[in-house]
Amino acid sequence: MVDTKKIAVGGAAVVLVLIVTIFASSYMSDFDNVQTKSKNNFEVIALGSETATVTIVEVGDYQCEMCKLWFEKTRPQIIENYIDTGKVNLIFIDMPFLGNDSIHAAAATYCADDQDEYWDYHVKLYELQQHVDDGWANIDRLHAIAFSLDMNMAEFDKCMKSDEPYDRVDFHKQKAKTDFAANSTPTFVIVNASGDSQKIVGAHPYSTFEKILNSML
Amino acid sequence: MLITIGIFVLLFFPLIIISEFLFFEPFLVFSIYPETTLSFLLIIILSFSSALAVSMNIYRVKLIKETRKIGSSIVGTMLGVSAGACSCGPIAFSIITTFGTAGSIASSFLTIYEIPIRLTSIGILCLVIFVTTKSLSRECEIKS
Repeated sequence: MVDTKKIAVGGAAVVLVLIVTIFASSYMSDFDNVQTKSKNNFEVIALGSETATVTIVEVGDYQCEMCKLWFEKTRPQIIENYIDTGKVNLIFIDMPFLGNDSIHAAAATYCADDQDEYWDYHVKLYELQQHVDDGWANIDRLHAIAFSLDMNMAEFDKCMKSDEPYDRVDFHKQKAKTDFAANSTPTFVIVNASGDSQKIVGAHPYSTFEKILNSML
Repeated sequence: MLITIGIFVLLFFPLIIISEFLFFEPFLVFSIYPETTLSFLLIIILSFSSALAVSMNIYRVKLIKETRKIGSSIVGTMLGVSAGACSCGPIAFSIITTFGTAGSIASSFLTIYEIPIRLTSIGILCLVIFVTTKSLSRECEIKS
């Protein structure tokens, strides 16, 4: 007869080793990233007024379903009450880690930025989001999204074939890990003019942002 | 009873934290949207059925020193817990950065099939509860 006690102990040992491996390698990958400095220095694209005293930095992935939930439930209220009123800015930092299409989608937003369509493209991506790497954000679909926004397609395609948008994505990914210590999406860092900052991890409801933003304004 | 409550709490709270229903930082916040209600209900059912199945089997092991069914309740629980745990949180991040494409595929599978996996897991646990109840009532029968 099989000894259940031995199986349970063996199973627990395997799970423990797996957990330690995952966290150790995750820690080491963070350490490696701290040592690597980006060669480039790209501009970040802000949504909102230049005179806003508070900035929300959102670290996200276009294939992350919790980012979509935040985009649909919390973001519109923040835009209406804080961004449109000129009090707050929103910056999006890419941390594409969920799949290959996350990187292409993020790169496409920078090609859209070349034609001043960054935020419209950003919105479209979250509106059209489906499952990770199921084809909704492959190169053809990204092309179709650009077409639906009446963008110059020759310019967009040329941009997507170049390294420039991918370098910008890499720069953002590194910034997300080193400057904002993000290890999940969405992660938010709210900063005010006096340098006070507050980190929020996860798709928090509007009430969380309302409290923090009011205390920082 | 205490074991049942203990297992329920040990499963329910980590699951609602991982699934981003409950936040402790920067302050205590509970949030649920119409789109996430089903997921929340399944977490409650899973935690309850798992707590019941495991505690009934612990009682059974104590009573008749037989450990066969406890394995099924643990498998059912693990299956249900793993579903949805890998959305875009730190667990998914660790798995993907460690295992690369394989981790990404596993993580997206557990996210996409969160509801069916949780339903299967609840099904397994209900079956375990049913079989254990029958077995306990048979074994505890007073012979006349």
